[in-house]
Amino acid sequence: MSGPLADLRVIELCDELGQYAGKLLGDLGADVVKVEPPGGSSARAIGPFVKDIPGPDRSLNFWYHNTNKRSVVLDIEGDAGDRARFAQLCAGADVLIEDRQPGALAALGLGEAELRAANPRLIVCSITPFGQTGPWKDHATSDLVALALGGPMVMNGYDQEDAPGAPPIRGHGDQGYNTASHHALHGILAALFYRDRTGAGQYIDCSMHEALSQTVEVGMPYWLYARTDVFRQTARHAAAQRTEPWLVHAKDGKDLILFGVGRDNTSWKQLKKWYQAAGFGLQFDEPRFDEPLARQGGTGSPEAAELRAETAKFVAAHDAEAIYRGGQERDQAWGVIRAPDETLADPHWWDRGHFVHTTGEGVDEPVAMPGAPYLLSATPWELRRPAPKLGEHTAEVLAELASG
Amino acid sequence: MADLPLSGIRVCDLTWIIAGPTATRVLADFGAEVIRVEHAQAVDAIRLGRPIVGDGPTLNNSGFFSYFNRNKKSILLNVRHPMGMDVLKKLIAASDVVVENFSSGVMESWELDYPQLKAIRPDIIYCSISGFGHSGRDKAFTTWGPTAQALCGLAITSGLPGKMPAGWGYSYMDHTAGYAGAIAIMAALHHRNRTGEGQHIDISQVEAGIVLNGPAVLDYTVNGRSWRREGMPPGNHAWEPAVAPHNTYRCAGDDRWVAIAAMNDAEWQALVRAMDEPAWAADPRFATNAGRLAHQEGLDARIAAWTAPQEDYAVMALLQAAGVRAGVCQRASDRFERDPQLAARDWWHRLEHGEMGEVDYDGVVPKLSLTPGQLRSAGPLLGQDTWSVLEEVAGMTPEEIAEHEAMGVLM
Repeated sequence: MSGPLADLRVIELCDELGQYAGKLLGDLGADVVKVEPPGGSSARAIGPFVKDIPGPDRSLNFWYHNTNKRSVVLDIEGDAGDRARFAQLCAGADVLIEDRQPGALAALGLGEAELRAANPRLIVCSITPFGQTGPWKDHATSDLVALALGGPMVMNGYDQEDAPGAPPIRGHGDQGYNTASHHALHGILAALFYRDRTGAGQYIDCSMHEALSQTVEVGMPYWLYARTDVFRQTARHAAAQRTEPWLVHAKDGKDLILFGVGRDNTSWKQLKKWYQAAGFGLQFDEPRFDEPLARQGGTGSPEAAELRAETAKFVAAHDAEAIYRGGQERDQAWGVIRAPDETLADPHWWDRGHFVHTTGEGVDEPVAMPGAPYLLSATPWELRRPAPKLGEHTAEVLAELASG
Repeated sequence: MADLPLSGIRVCDLTWIIAGPTATRVLADFGAEVIRVEHAQAVDAIRLGRPIVGDGPTLNNSGFFSYFNRNKKSILLNVRHPMGMDVLKKLIAASDVVVENFSSGVMESWELDYPQLKAIRPDIIYCSISGFGHSGRDKAFTTWGPTAQALCGLAITSGLPGKMPAGWGYSYMDHTAGYAGAIAIMAALHHRNRTGEGQHIDISQVEAGIVLNGPAVLDYTVNGRSWRREGMPPGNHAWEPAVAPHNTYRCAGDDRWVAIAAMNDAEWQALVRAMDEPAWAADPRFATNAGRLAHQEGLDARIAAWTAPQEDYAVMALLQAAGVRAGVCQRASDRFERDPQLAARDWWHRLEHGEMGEVDYDGVVPKLSLTPGQLRSAGPLLGQDTWSVLEEVAGMTPEEIAEHEAMGVLM
């Protein structure tokens, strides 16, 4: 069995910004040839490293974002022969993704226009911080700076009383790069579908800044429709007004996100029984708690305040995982705040075959990491090869080129 | 009508809230005919969601809804009525794609799980987006965006060290599960073009989030280090690559901040020159990245003292001119009114809405040179396309439609 893109050859000239787009294509079956400079992609220098020893083949950032790719070293900046080889690779490819500075490839004679003239079926996608045009096109960025300018950060942070004077907060994991890559995939696959019908390739200009500006949920429509900026609040949605807290601390020091507590009468009965069996919320049998609206936070009702107080005490008397599971079993869409690695301990994801095992320099046994973001019944996501060592496939790919 | 990349593709859209509608918005932007199947007795809660235009919600004046449902059609159909279910099956038979984001088990209860959909239309592409997916021991559990963000490991990565998590201030995982849905659907369409074969795409919102922190998981499985440890999350300091300075700094005005990152010594030196070479910056402790990391708090305090009296955009302009990575923490109003980059790229659009009048939109992110995505229509009024869709897509006669309406099926 192979992925839905198994017929595609992709050339990837990407570092941190675009490497996830190449992974998404490769994980869906495409043959992704990653072209790297002689010193290797800059992503190979990003930690954490295996046993904290740096090295081009020991970056776990690189391991994760470069599955299902082959690595070919070409010195396209310094060597005319390698530039010709790069052009030849693109001549035989379906897709080129690149994240170089706007104009950088064109300056080498490898611009999208030249490459597409030689191969009209080629889809070229440039993933850049701000796009190919505009006054900021050459501005310097990073994931932090991108999340600042694009809008996510100003929506993340704390209520004043929780952290006075705290700044907007960046969530980690290079989510700016990830979001840009998701949008790049939308463009590439839409263009691919068009090519399926017409045979014509095209050029795609994908801006991380625009991708982020459109990925802030209620933040953007609040301005577009009400000319209001939402403001950040601890561990819950930024909003135009102050809202009730969602974060609740458990006995074991872990936190949960709880909302909709007692929203409807059916689940309220189950919750009440659960609290009361542990000795909390004994007053909930009083008729004043029967009305759903009275229990709702934000109404200022004494019942809502008492429910919140009893919930805090109930949760503080239990471990977080027990509250999470107990809540879900009682139709509450609650969640325990887990570290990324703590997801490994939940058997549900193993039931679904989510985690996969990879390998590389410095580990004796295969190690687990996240796998498929989607299960496709006919053409499943598949880990066919771990991230390549630097230049691991140079000879192989050049031999393929030579044999046409 | 222009030939768009997904012209000719029809999507039977059973989605609601944000995650599902985000997936179908991508398809609609690229030209797919997306038909939202709605029911007035169980209306999409987002139709009542703020911001609304006017005094109270009318089901048609939610900006929240309109923003996520541009370019789509809406029909009213009561699928709990047997005649309504028959109409739905006609729509499915005429569709390439069915998308839903109900709790796992709902489609089964409607007798519309994948084998049954396949019996109606053999090459159907069926995409389900649920909290935990359609398999696994906890498949009946449910999520909202913030639940998913807690469970997948995203929420804990956002916050100041020693504080409670700040989490995500919006449903990032509603967007991202939807983005994953659009990717998988379009990839499956390509496979169908080649082979004639459809399939079921099963997306778990939590899984779509677990994949966004792969290096953190590997740091545990390879090095035994969990993100749940002293000093983590590191706030706006860098995790990896570990560099300094890397933070947000307060500027003049109310809650105005600029983010600055120096990824190496050369960028640090450029920052020092842009700050006009203050004496403190010559301190040998700050000469190397290791030294700057070890004395990050002192470093941050000095940079913050430099930015504090200045206007944020002025700091950004000064630093960018020096080649230093810097950007204002922009609000939505800043992006709409002050951001010259978005303006220069014609990012903002205006469409006529059936009830709200002229409304503003942002554009289509990936700009395709030959067949760019388009904004053709604002979010649909509830049921505005019922008659035309039933006639043109389901192949019903006006008499049949009128009969269905009289029987209370089209509500």
